[in-house]
Formats: sequence, C-alpha cells, structure tokens
Amino acid sequence: MRSRLGTLLWRAVLAALLVCGIGLLPWLSHTDPALTVLKARSADRDATPEVLADIRAQLGLKEGPLGLLGQWLAGLPRGDAGRSWISGADVLPGVIEALGASLLLMVVALAVALVTAAGVGARTLHLGARRRLEGRPAGCSGSAVLAALPEFLTASVLATVVGVQWGWLPALGWYGPQWTVLPALALGLPAGAVLGRLLDDQLPAAFAEPWAVAAAARGLPGRSIARKALRRCVPGLLPNLGLFVVGLTGGSVAVEQIFDIPGLGRTTLQAAIAQDLPVLQAGTLVLVVLAAVATVGARLAARLLIGPALRDGALHTLHRPSPPVRRILPIAYGLLLSVVISLGLPRDPLALDTAARLRPPSAAHPFGTDALGRDVLARVAHGALDTLLLALAISAVALTAGVLLGLLPRLSAPLVDTVNAVPPVLAALLVAAVWGGGSATPVLAVAVVAWAPLAAHTSALLRQERATLHLTATRALGAGPGYLLRSELLPAVLPPVARHALLRLPGIALALASLGFLGLGAQPPSPEWGLLLAENQPYAERAPWAVLAPAAVLAVLGALAVTAAGGLRRPRPRRPRTVDPIAGERLSTRPELVGAE
Amino acid sequence: MRFPRRPRPSRGPRPPRLLAAVFLTPLLAGCFASSGGEDGAGSGADDGSRLRVALAFPPAENLSPYGADATILSRLGVTEGLTALDANGAAAPALAASWRRVDDRDWLFTLREAAFQDGTEVTPAAVAASLTHATEARPVPAALSGVTLTAKAEGGTGVRVTTAAPDPVLPLRLSSPGLAVLAPKAYGKKGAVDPVGTATGPFELTEVTGATAADLDRFDDYWGGRAQASGVEVTFIADGTARANALRTGQVDLAEGIPVAQAATLDADTRRETATTRTTSLLLNAKSGVFKDPALRAAARAAVDTSALAEGVYEGHADAGAGIYGPAVTWAEGKRVQPAGRAKAGRPGGVSLTLATYDNRPELPEAAQVLKQQLEKAGFKVKLEVREYSRLESDALAGKFDAFLGARNSLLDTGDPVSLLASDFTCDGGYNLALLCDRGVDRAVAEAQTVADTGERQDAALAAEAAILGTDAVVPLVHQRVITGVGAEVGGVLLDPYERTLVGAGTRR
Repeated sequence: MRSRLGTLLWRAVLAALLVCGIGLLPWLSHTDPALTVLKARSADRDATPEVLADIRAQLGLKEGPLGLLGQWLAGLPRGDAGRSWISGADVLPGVIEALGASLLLMVVALAVALVTAAGVGARTLHLGARRRLEGRPAGCSGSAVLAALPEFLTASVLATVVGVQWGWLPALGWYGPQWTVLPALALGLPAGAVLGRLLDDQLPAAFAEPWAVAAAARGLPGRSIARKALRRCVPGLLPNLGLFVVGLTGGSVAVEQIFDIPGLGRTTLQAAIAQDLPVLQAGTLVLVVLAAVATVGARLAARLLIGPALRDGALHTLHRPSPPVRRILPIAYGLLLSVVISLGLPRDPLALDTAARLRPPSAAHPFGTDALGRDVLARVAHGALDTLLLALAISAVALTAGVLLGLLPRLSAPLVDTVNAVPPVLAALLVAAVWGGGSATPVLAVAVVAWAPLAAHTSALLRQERATLHLTATRALGAGPGYLLRSELLPAVLPPVARHALLRLPGIALALASLGFLGLGAQPPSPEWGLLLAENQPYAERAPWAVLAPAAVLAVLGALAVTAAGGLRRPRPRRPRTVDPIAGERLSTRPELVGAE
Repeated sequence: MRFPRRPRPSRGPRPPRLLAAVFLTPLLAGCFASSGGEDGAGSGADDGSRLRVALAFPPAENLSPYGADATILSRLGVTEGLTALDANGAAAPALAASWRRVDDRDWLFTLREAAFQDGTEVTPAAVAASLTHATEARPVPAALSGVTLTAKAEGGTGVRVTTAAPDPVLPLRLSSPGLAVLAPKAYGKKGAVDPVGTATGPFELTEVTGATAADLDRFDDYWGGRAQASGVEVTFIADGTARANALRTGQVDLAEGIPVAQAATLDADTRRETATTRTTSLLLNAKSGVFKDPALRAAARAAVDTSALAEGVYEGHADAGAGIYGPAVTWAEGKRVQPAGRAKAGRPGGVSLTLATYDNRPELPEAAQVLKQQLEKAGFKVKLEVREYSRLESDALAGKFDAFLGARNSLLDTGDPVSLLASDFTCDGGYNLALLCDRGVDRAVAEAQTVADTGERQDAALAAEAAILGTDAVVPLVHQRVITGVGAEVGGVLLDPYERTLVGAGTRR
C-alpha cells in the first residue's frame, strides 16, 4: 500500500514537473511568446514593438511565468484550463473535442494493430500449436519491413491511391466510421508489426514450456494450447501496448494532417510551435492522465491473465530453445544495402539540375531524380552513413537508459508513462531549451523519448523473470542480488530488449528528421534519410520513386537489423543447470521475489 | 495446465474497446460539420445550389475581423468595408457609394442604401461606431497601425473620417478586410466581435464549427442583388495535398492555395492561376558580414538566375522577378525605373555565408537549395538554415544571417505601395530584414510618402523601388501565382491578385 502511494506521489510530481516545464518554456528557451503567438495568429503581420506590447498586455505576460502558472493551476479545480493565447477561446472544450477524435482514431488503429500483430504471430502460433516449431528458423523480415514503414508515407499513399484514384474510401475528413479506415491503417500497420514482432519473439519459448508439452501429450487440441501460449506471452507486451495507446493518441501528427483529422496531435503541435502555453499544458496533462489510465489498465489485464502464476512464482523463464539462426538472410540484406550504397557513393548527391526534375528511373539515374533533379541513388547512398551512425548512436543510448531504468520499475514506470505522453516536438523543445542548440541536442531530443518503450519492455520481462522458478532456486542456493542480476536477469532480458531496440531503429532515423523545423537535426541539402523522405513526400504521387527508394532502403535496414539481431541470444550457461524446474517447485516460494509492483 | 480456468481467457480487454468504438462513433460524428454534398434547401432551379469551399488557413482567432481571419470573411463574401480594391489597385466603392477629401485630414464618405444581415439598416452612426471599435481593438488592425483615426456620422448618409496626420491613402486603407463594417449587435463586452449574422456581404455566416468548418447562407437583402449560390459550406483544410485531394474526389467545388507540387495532379481546366502581389526575394544583410560590401551584393545578384527558379522550382507557376512589385501590380509595368548607380560585381573568392529561409512555404527550402548552387557557382560558400518562421524572424532581424530568402506581400494590408518600402527598406523600418540603411533610399521613400495623387504616388514608389534595387540589398527572385482549384461546373469565382475575394454574389455551381 505504501509503495503504491509512493508511486502515485512520484507520478504526480512528474506531471507537475512537466506542466511547470511547459510553463517556463519561453523563458527557458528565450523565445518571445508574444512573437510566436502573433505569427500563429497572422503570419504576415509585422511584429512592431506596439503590436507585441499589446499582445503581452492581452496575455498578461507581465505576471511572469510563475504568476501565469499559478493562475492556470488555480483554475484547474474549477474545470477551467484557461484561454488559448491564440484564439482566446476556452481551452478545455477544444482539447476534449480533439481528444475525442484522437481516441477514436487510436481505438481503430489499435484494432488494426492487433490484427496485424496476430497476422505476424500467426505462423509461430500455428506451428507451435502443432509442435512443429522445433528446428524452424523464425520468419521476421516481413514484420520488420512493415515496422519500418514511415506512417506519413503509408498515409499519403493510402490517401492518393485508395482515396483519390480508386475512390473506395474517403481521402480526407472525419465524419463517420468509413473515414477512420485509412488513417487507422496507416497508424496501425507499423504499430502492429512492432507488437507482433515482440509477441513472435516470445511464443516459441512458451510452446517449449513443460505445460505445453504435457498438454500436447494429454491430447489437448492445438487451438487450446495456442490460446494458452498467447495468454502466457501477452502480459509481457501489455506495457508496450499501453504506450501505443498514448503514443497513437497524442503523436499521430502526420496522419492527422494528411487526412485532415482535428485531433490532439495537431492541436499540441500547433500549440507547441506558437507557445500557446494553456493549450499545450492542457493537452499534455490530458495525455499524462491517459497514460496513467492505460498503465493501470495494462497492469489489471496482466493480473487477469497471469496473476496467480506471478504471485506464486510458478512461471518458467521464457527463453526459446535456440532455433537455427538464418545466417543467409542478414547477409543477403547487408549485401543488398552495401551494393546500393557502393553504387551511389561515386555519384554527386548535391548536384542540382532543375531541368531534369522528377525523372523516372533510367540508366543514367537508376533510382530516378527528385524535385530538384538530384540523383536519388546518390542521395540515398550518401545519406546512409550519417543516418545509420546517428540512429545507431541514439538506439544505443536509448537501450542503455531503457535497460538501466527498466531495472528500477518503481522509479521508471511512472517516468516511462509521462515521457511517452509528451509529444515528441514538445520533448525536443524542452531539451533544446535546457540544453541549448549544440550538435548533441537532436540526439538527446530523440533519445529522451526513445528509451521509454525499451524500459517498459525491460521491466515487463524482468517481472516475469523474477517470478521464475530457477531464480528462486538460485537464490535458495545462496546467490546474492548482484550475482542474480549479472548472471541471470540481465542475460535473460537483454537479448529481447536489444532486438526491440533494433526494430525501432528506422523509426528513430525518421524522428530525427521531424525535428528539422526547429532548427535541430539535419538541414537541407543534407541527404539524411528522414529529410529525404520528408522533402519528397509532396511529390509522392508524381514521382513515387523519390520516396520509395529511401523508404525501401529504410525497410531493408529494418529487416537487416532484426534478422541480424536474431543472433542475439542468451549466452549458454557455463555450468549445467543444477536445479530441475520441477524440483524447484517444491522449494518454498518467497513472496518478496515477486515484487515488480 | 498451470493456468487456472477462467470464463473468458485472454481476450478479456478487447471486445469492450471495439464496442466503445461503435458507441463513440455517432457521438463524435455529431461534433463535426456535415460532410457536404447535400444541396441547399432551395427548391426552384434558379435558386442555386450550395457551394463547397476548402480554405487553406483555419481561423486563428475565432473569425475576429481584426486579425488575419478578416481575410477569410472577406474572401467568403461575408464582410465588406466602406471601399474595396479594384483590379488596378485603386479604391472602388463598396458600402460607400462615393467619397471626397474635404481637407488634408478630413474625408467625407457617402453611404449607399444597404442592410446588415441582422435586418437593421446600415446607418452612418453604425458605420462610425464600427470604425471606432476597430481603432480601439488591441492590437490594432494592421491597416491602422501608426494611424490615429476618428469617424463621426454626418447627416443622413455621410460618415466623416478624420486622421491625426494627413493620410493620402485613406480610401485604400479603408478597403482592408480588417476595417469591415458590422452591425452594432456584433460588438460584445470585453472587445469580443462576433461576425455571425452581423455583416453586410452577399453571404451570411450562420454556424462556425471551431477551426474545422463554417456554414454560410445567402443574404437575400444584399444591396448588390441576391447571390446565385444559396449558401456556402466551408471546410478549413490546412494541408495542401489534402486540399487538392478534396477537390479531386469531388468533396469540394473550390479549393484555394493548391501547392505547386500538387498542381500537376489537377486537370488543367480545374487549375486557375492568378498573379499575386507576393514577391519572393533574396534579402542580403547590408549591415554586417559578407554582404556589407556592395560589390559582393552585386556579385550575388549577378549570380542568381531567376528564370531557373521560376521554371525549376515553381514549375512555371511563377514569373521571374522584375522588381519589388510584380506583374500583379498592373500599374508598375509601364512605369518601371531602371536602377542606377549599382556597384560593380566583386570577386567572392570562396567567402562563406549563411542563407536562412523558412519551411512554412514548401517551395522556399527548394528555392534556397537552388540558390545555394547558383551562388556557389559564382564563388560563394553557402550554408543553409531552414526553420519554422517564428523561430527564424528575430534572428534574421538581429542580423544573424548573411542572406534571407522570404516571400512578402508587396502591397501589405493597406494596398498602398509605399508603406512596404518604408517598413522593409528604411533605417527606421520595422521589418527591415536586409538591415538596409541608405540615405538615398530613405529620401526617396520619404518623398513618396508625402504624395497624395494616386498616379504620382505610384511614380514616386517606383522611383524609390529603383533606389532600393540600386543598393542590391534585395534581389527579387519570383512573383508567385496562386493556384486555385475550381471544379468544372463552378463559375463566377472572383480570383483576385490581392487575395481578398474568392466567393461573391455571382459565384455559382
């Protein structure tokens, strides 16, 4: 009970810190809110001192950040979240309306994601239920490719092809159920691929557990075994599912723009750019609350699914029997990437020729040309090194932070929720305000949110791992916590989390480019991949090759990362296991081992 | 089996979510405007159908007539001022049938017989009150910045407008959408202004759905005659591609501001181009850094190939730069003065510079990259800096960049050609991105500001333009044309270089 209170308190402190951080944003980053508000209201208006003074007086900026924050907080209990600095309208109704649209979009996208995840895990489930998984390599390239799909690209392709050219579904708007399909597909497919991959990662181990063997021996139908295996694995994913719930609600800016959906992502983005603090504070607070609700929901669901087993420490460690790793696949992907890069490197990525713009692929330009007549192959190749190094560096930072914080779930779980609820642009603004505009800022700005899903994954796995029998046994044999961490917990948790980190590598490359407009990250004409995709997106219909080429290499990179990560397995124990799992059951269970709560 | 049996294993949390979606859908659908496509209530064939229009800029300030939203109201034919701009940039009668200058500071406007949309009559007292409200708004409407103005009713049809300082361009000023005339009912407490059902135009605002949609009905008592369309359904779609898609799928009849990149996806006959007064230019920092040296500014000007930009980046949807005023400013064409006394181009010798631009207009970063190549060919080394506009402006005004690429409306809110020159290129100018402070320029601009006669003022403006171009602090690159997507069956669209009108009494489907 006390620990739960502590968590609640910690959560409240984090939310308060976040709101205060937003309240101080203009003063931290030394940008005049009167100017950003004026430009958001009217881009053409000249910012004369008189106009700025009028706006300052209108917004009451003289009160200073603390006075404004105090006023805003004082209004909250009355359900008054202030007035928007831009429009002067009450904040709360607008934010609630946007939240409604975003929640609906999230729910449908989540449905798509679950179907996708089921599709990704179907093969393993099918084979596992029939006990034919032994010796088969995992198939994972497809889902990795799907996970690497930039959602804005999927969205514009769906809008133009399905919406405009075929006319099957509305291309934009938000008026009824049929309007939800295309945006939900664009959001749900990559999310589902990530979830499906994580699930597929665990299923073989579940099927290898003794209960599954016993159930098969007793002649239980395969379908029933598959259901139980799913139930065994899903709790490990629930925290990540919770993160997707919040991430899709607040962070689907690109999709909301392309389909013209009046959602929360656009609202907070606009507020962040204009420094419309009341809207930004209210929007973020709503997301933080949603994150808390999602976490509680995920925890309840996990308890419903495997609660008794967790409590009694009756779980097995979920380590799949090492399948034969497909060495050929990563080599093939790597080869493909290096061929593309080595073909492009001798070409000039910056040579403009506006006379040769948007040329389709030909012998002279194997990947075609972009809107300024530059060779796409050259740009893809030259951008590879920058993009890869930066994305890898961020992934490494995020992995380290994620695992370390994941080891301290009581501290990190509320932190994960809060960080995940912060719109990425706001996170970048806060980082830039605190850190200044150095070259490390974009890396930090992305890493500061990228660690969260990894930490959530780590603690979920850890929670199960701590409840396993062999751990109890090892402890009973006198092992200290340091030994347990070094030789049991970390080796068990690291490989799946590292695979997860690699799965998110393409997403990180894209996140970097999305910060460009803040003056962070790559600037044109740099051929960084995210930038490449963003600058060619408006031409996606007329020159599909200019976006498909970078998207394809990104997908190959994703597939390469995931297939190569297939080799990341728990190292073989140096000594033979002394404790037989069945024998371990007879040992006394120690309740304090359970505690990830 | 190690798992205890439960009535509903593993799929527990899912059905409620789906169920929630089913229940939420009708709830949420209620929040939005109807999707359009339904015809108006009118029954007769001559009653016209409702137009569906997609506008680019969602209302920022609840359609307050004092900010940028005023343009939305004027483009939709909701509000009118005392005067309007004609195609040549001169003041034309609107609510005022005529006017005359009584003396230096006094103007007398004679109203026409007209009615507000709430049924009351347009009286001199109402007009004077409306203008007075505008002068009291904070911040003041852009057209009134730096002007002190009082309006009084005079007689049965007259409104006397007095300015503190002589204002030769007052009729032009009053054409600004920010000075629209609204009924007394529109002005609430605390300075809030509600244009719903209180304006005088051919269409009456009936419903506004946040920043996503608005509904307009025909105003039957419009002084200019009944409008042909029975109403207008407006959706605000910020994304350019989405606007083009809305037109292509037939969701709207009229879509403004089609981005250059999307123009080719529209049929040629649905694409209407209008030359605008918006000029994209390269401003060179004349105060500090590389371009303090006039010879290097001249070298940069010589290096720039404007037609490559107009063709290569704007795909021919723009005219190569002719001056600060482009071809949309029709009177400038025959009168243009060639700049004299330009410095001789120097040798850059690999000197490096920073070129800043913003990405709010997608063509600008592309144009900047083309410029980079052109300048580098001439011997400069160029580093680009692309940001969101409001994060760029203060650094640019502080002179942190050597060059700035931006698009600017050359007639501003007043329609007066001289005010732009004063704010952008004089020592005291508030928006002097070129940081130019040149005595000759200041003198020429000051001279132009005193001229009252329209024609002479234009001549003086062009003389000042030549003086400014002579310093090479500004290199006009292209004059943009806006592309409006007009459905095949739509007629009577008011395409306007000043971007103040779009839908009018004669617009029909």
